[in-house]
Amino acid sequence: MSNERLVTVTVNGERRSALAEPRTLLVDFIRHGLGLTGTHVGCEQGGCGACTVVLDGELALACCTLAVQADGATLQTVEGLAPAPDRLHPLQSAFQAEHGLQCGYCTPGMLIAADDLLRRTPDPTEQEIRSHLSGNVCRCTGYTGIVAAVQTAARNLRAQATETRGVTAS
Amino acid sequence: MTTRYVGAPVLRVEDPAFLRGRAAFIDDIAPPRCLHAAFLRSPHAHARIVRIDTAAAAALPGVHAVLTGEDFCDELPFTTTIATRPECKTGTRRLLPLDKARHVGDPIAVVVADSRYVAEDALDLIVVEWQLLPVVTDPEAALLAGAPLIHEELGSNDFAHITFTAGDPDGVFARAPRTFSKRFHFGRTHAAPLEGRGVVADWDATTGKATVWTSTQMPHLVRGMLAGQFGMPETSLRVICPAVGGGFGLKVQLFVEEAIVPLLSRRLGRPVKWIEDRSEALGASGHSKEVVMDIDLATDDEGRFLALRGRYVGDGGAYLAHPWTSLIDPLCAASFLPSFYDVQDLAYEVRTPFTNKCPSVAYRGVGWTPGQAAREILIDEAARALDIDPVELRLRNAVPDGIPYRSATGASYDGGSFQGAIRRALELVDYDGLRERQATLRAEGRYLGIGVSPFVEQGGWAARIAAVNGFPGFAYLDSASVSMEPDGTVTVAGGFQSNGQGHETTMAQVVADALQVPFESVRVLQGDTDTVPYATGSYGSRTAVVAGGALLRASGDVRAKLLRLGAHLLEASPDDVELVDGLIRVAGTPSRSVTIKQAAAAAYWGPRPDDLDPALSATRSYDPPETFSNACVVAVVEVDARTGQVAIERLLVVEDCGTIVNPLIVDGQVSGAIAQAVGAVLLEGLPYDEHGQFRAATLADFLFPKTTDLPSVEVDHLETPSPVTEGGFKGMGEGGLIGGPSALVNAIADALVPLGAGASVVRTPLRPCDILELIDAARAAV
Ligand code: FES
Ligand code: FES
Repeated sequence: MSNERLVTVTVNGERRSALAEPRTLLVDFIRHGLGLTGTHVGCEQGGCGACTVVLDGELALACCTLAVQADGATLQTVEGLAPAPDRLHPLQSAFQAEHGLQCGYCTPGMLIAADDLLRRTPDPTEQEIRSHLSGNVCRCTGYTGIVAAVQTAARNLRAQATETRGVTAS
Repeated sequence: MTTRYVGAPVLRVEDPAFLRGRAAFIDDIAPPRCLHAAFLRSPHAHARIVRIDTAAAAALPGVHAVLTGEDFCDELPFTTTIATRPECKTGTRRLLPLDKARHVGDPIAVVVADSRYVAEDALDLIVVEWQLLPVVTDPEAALLAGAPLIHEELGSNDFAHITFTAGDPDGVFARAPRTFSKRFHFGRTHAAPLEGRGVVADWDATTGKATVWTSTQMPHLVRGMLAGQFGMPETSLRVICPAVGGGFGLKVQLFVEEAIVPLLSRRLGRPVKWIEDRSEALGASGHSKEVVMDIDLATDDEGRFLALRGRYVGDGGAYLAHPWTSLIDPLCAASFLPSFYDVQDLAYEVRTPFTNKCPSVAYRGVGWTPGQAAREILIDEAARALDIDPVELRLRNAVPDGIPYRSATGASYDGGSFQGAIRRALELVDYDGLRERQATLRAEGRYLGIGVSPFVEQGGWAARIAAVNGFPGFAYLDSASVSMEPDGTVTVAGGFQSNGQGHETTMAQVVADALQVPFESVRVLQGDTDTVPYATGSYGSRTAVVAGGALLRASGDVRAKLLRLGAHLLEASPDDVELVDGLIRVAGTPSRSVTIKQAAAAAYWGPRPDDLDPALSATRSYDPPETFSNACVVAVVEVDARTGQVAIERLLVVEDCGTIVNPLIVDGQVSGAIAQAVGAVLLEGLPYDEHGQFRAATLADFLFPKTTDLPSVEVDHLETPSPVTEGGFKGMGEGGLIGGPSALVNAIADALVPLGAGASVVRTPLRPCDILELIDAARAAV
């Protein structure tokens, strides 16, 4: 397409460029342009949260954002969550331990939204968890395992933080 | 043999790939040179196609083809629905219609282009001249003489008219001291998996072989049905099912798009992909569970149930879903009319007309959901009229626990905990305390409602259970294989198809125990008809029973060989050795043992007995006897009489699915199904207006249950292993959506009783506006 232009983003710490039309949705750019297919599309209507990513530090629905709007921006997707190829992020481990996923389709968006919550609110109440995740639909789990997973992850992350502080102090 | 994994909350092996975003779903399948398809869908409910002009669309740069019904004239008609019963008509449809559109969303034309964006641009350039036809959207109206015909060639809209009588219900009703009746209209619902449908096809004209990737719950059935459609051998068609982003029964039909996309690839000589968007999913995939029901109950003065009658009119929509047809709702509802209540005199009538709406398809709990809702709300009303506690009334009529029982509709229950589950649920919610609290709150003008919905559900849909549900005449072949590799690790393969249920974990648990090997040493293959043995797929709460049973049998064959190999190595008689914890050892002399690994190596490289076929591999099948799980759901809600808002306070389920494979997964299935019950009762509805216009095409209209719509679901287990199935598995997964809606409906009705509106709950959904209407009407009537 003649009206394609180069869009450059820093995604999960890596600088990446790919072509996009002015109308290309950010979610299509991420999935097909950058090949990061962990971010999913559930509606393209802003109604399900499956496409949730972090855009310049804020949660964003990648189906309601154009790729060109993200030119020069910093993005985080589910692929950037785990600290190492052979280690899961505490949220990811907690989702497995608490059976917070079934088909796994909502999971990337859910993890990104939950991570955002725990960065801001390390010790959330159940109500805070539920309201923060209310834009993310899961059709499989009934949310019971998801809420439990976020609680578990919050506990583990706080314990980790205390440990790290302890180590630094000694 | 010691059990180590079955029954344990083993963490799912499939999770890391999903958690890291590495799992490949259908839209992640991207063969080189892939083109993209988009469908033009009818904006009208019923309209003749006078003319279609595709010239401008075809001329758009990047467009490779624009095809209409005319272009598929040489293809076989799609899905000749096989009448499983003489009462059914035989229906066919074309891949794309030539004559007319029958519902909003009916596919009319298809564009193939370089990208989905361009394909959708081209859709806007197709010009269709329509001639509007009269519309019928009400199923009962569709049955009236003179109703617009959806399929003229059938002569009427009545697809099937089925009646059944056991005993002498009319006689009993005539003599019964008390009779009660209820008309209930269960609203339309949508399985609405978060990932919609999608198909990718790559047809190689030089070899005549085709690969079809599709998001389905039944890869082998798709292969068979498509091979028939295309007139090709099943061996020339490979169906691959990638990760499935939820199915819930929706993906247990063959859809017309699954046949069209491969033909596009054949025609263009390039791979073609079609990914459904959310509006297509909502309006043009399949709707479920809309049934209008009239239920009559006869009792004596003490509330003993004497007879039941049910009339079920389903809403079939515009086309028959293949292979289950629109009977999947009303006929399954009718087949479970008596539930586990001891009633031997009953009658039912089932009809399922075509209407100008989206076709009716299977969705978790199928017709058992509406049937349960209608029966159970009638029982609550009878309890109020008889002045008996509704739970006590149910207990008086429930079949006793643990004994085989044959229902009047012909189901052979293999012994459950029907009463036990109710009693346990009452204890866990503190039923008496709740009733007291309800009375206190009522005095304060607050409306708490309690709904208790116990149920029996079929498990392991296969030949016998299908017959019990009114679908006789077919056997089922569900096979699975177990192979031990030279190093003692195990490969399991089967035609089951996980769509969130974690079969890679549960099936490995079953086999690890049967072979006494570490869980980590078992891998499970599924989702590719080229590599796994034939099975009909995962649906109908069947995989634990059917695939689990086949795997237990196959493991038994492999185990027998391992014992012979081990005995040979130990120079002992095969009768004297046992398999325990990874060792084959001489019974009574545990020091004399070899590892399974040694026995496996001996099969491949020797030494081994001369008369032993050493192949450490077995493929077995299982078409199980009838088995039934049971459960009891309790919903506690508070209705705000000023806003009509329903706040759910508690949702509790006591379930009994026989031998539990993995409690973590069972809990997850229950919780997920209960959330769908919340959606069905409080949020969904999928309305059509009087012109047949679909009014829920976006997620602003169709509301998924969200985190804030329900509390965490409490689950408790009873375990009454089936005495008749392999492993004692009974099957589960659907129950929360069978018992959940009636628990919620009854809880809401219970809350509305002091407002005079208890008995006026006659349909779902019950959104705030619906509840306010009921309250206002009750107030106006005073
Ligand atoms: S895909 Fe973006 S909100 Fe649903
Ligand atoms: S796990 Fe399937 S949608 Fe959440």
